[in-house]
Amino acid sequence: MSIIHVSSLKKSYGRKTVLEDINFEIAEGSIVGLLGPNGCGKTTLIKILTGLIKDHTGTVRINNEEPGPYTKSIVAYLPDKSYLPDWMKPGDAIGYFNDFYADFDREKAEKMVRDFGLDPSQRLKTMSKGQQEKLNLILVMCRRAKLYILDEPLGGLDPAARSFVLDLIMNNYAKDATVLISTHLIGDVERIFDRVLMINGGRLIVNSHVDEIREKGKSVEEVFKEVFSYAW
Amino acid sequence: MLGKLIKHELRHSARYTISIYTAVIVISAVMGLSLLSSATWLGVMSCFALYAAGFMAVIITLVSVIKNFYDTLFGRQGYLTLTLPVKCSNLLISKVIVSFIWIVASFMLMVLTFVMIFFYAKERSSGYFTIVSDAISLSGILEMLPSASTVIKLLLVAAVWAIITIFTYVSFVYFTVTLANTRALQSHPKILGGLIFLGIFSLNNTVGNLLTQYMPFTFNVGSDRVFFAFEQMGKAEEALLSYGVGGTLFSGLFAFGLLWLTGYILEYKVNLK
Repeated sequence: MSIIHVSSLKKSYGRKTVLEDINFEIAEGSIVGLLGPNGCGKTTLIKILTGLIKDHTGTVRINNEEPGPYTKSIVAYLPDKSYLPDWMKPGDAIGYFNDFYADFDREKAEKMVRDFGLDPSQRLKTMSKGQQEKLNLILVMCRRAKLYILDEPLGGLDPAARSFVLDLIMNNYAKDATVLISTHLIGDVERIFDRVLMINGGRLIVNSHVDEIREKGKSVEEVFKEVFSYAW
Repeated sequence: MLGKLIKHELRHSARYTISIYTAVIVISAVMGLSLLSSATWLGVMSCFALYAAGFMAVIITLVSVIKNFYDTLFGRQGYLTLTLPVKCSNLLISKVIVSFIWIVASFMLMVLTFVMIFFYAKERSSGYFTIVSDAISLSGILEMLPSASTVIKLLLVAAVWAIITIFTYVSFVYFTVTLANTRALQSHPKILGGLIFLGIFSLNNTVGNLLTQYMPFTFNVGSDRVFFAFEQMGKAEEALLSYGVGGTLFSGLFAFGLLWLTGYILEYKVNLK
């Protein structure tokens, strides 16, 4: 059964088309890489999947429902920017998530905040960017969601931090859930993907199982470089 | 979910107003303590400060309604708010309720500061006996007022008018901020937002004034009763005071329509940066 179903999706900003004729399905329980260079339409697609953009054409279904309050209750979304208000402390943020998401594991979040060296009483505005990103990721990964959508979780991180973030994701997502990770840093993450979607110029140009790519004797990164060679 | 939205909305919006409310409490305390001192300058200064703080509480609250709405929906926090598993209508309702609470609280605070200044000045100039004698003479004035039931009806109508006026302000702000954050307008949201606000404010005032003046539906205060009449302002018999209701009704309906439009735009047309 597919958790994401997208067909004939098109999205334009004025005269500029940013997504065109996008069709794909993602099966439950898989880890999917959404790959492409900056500005290719990844974030727009993610905004549509999370219900932040609705003025598009085509069909989008998450667990057989159009994006809305129900799908938001089963999707754990990590945007590519810190979205918590500056005055909040980790304890406030945990309380906030606990109030709105029935699948949020409060005890796990409190433990992870302590384990990762965050001060529960420190305001976000006094935290480093790295600490804020860590907290955002903890909040998202402490949900037992059906679908995790992570927009550039590795962007701007050094290699050690990237490894830490990947471990955090892999060790904490609900095992029957689907994970969609958008990134343009392929090398670090290709080992975890079951499937990859590559977008370029608003079109889906690769939709392939990773095993199929490897059977051809290539890595995901090599395919990525072939497809987006002009961008390098 | 609505209760949780209101709870978190109250917590968030309190960040903007808490400092001015604290200032009012501190200044009131200083003013009260100055009664124990012979230094009149301290009392005069605190009176001015309290007057300014009471006034500022209203201004800051009205501005914070705009800032809070923008920050929580169209700033980066919008990614959190707009992906909560709640309907957009519930988000809007919670924000309207909380804005309403803060605006009413700020006006009550302003009135309270004026009352405190009045009694402080009385105490400074003539002592408690003047206040008591004033209260006694006030009871004489009260005897001249209409019956208690009439006063209650008058207050109820005034409360409804205040509710509609606040609701109108809030809906104008929400509509303006939301429309200014659609893709077509968000290149210059402040300038265009200002123009949109001016436009709907002018439209509301022009149509509202015409309806107040000419629509044959008025609220009237007589010598011993209040009543509605299907006549133009000033035409009803027995009316000592007459007010056209058409303008207020229009404002209420206009505000409701704008709020509905705001919900629609928020659901389908908003573009988070």
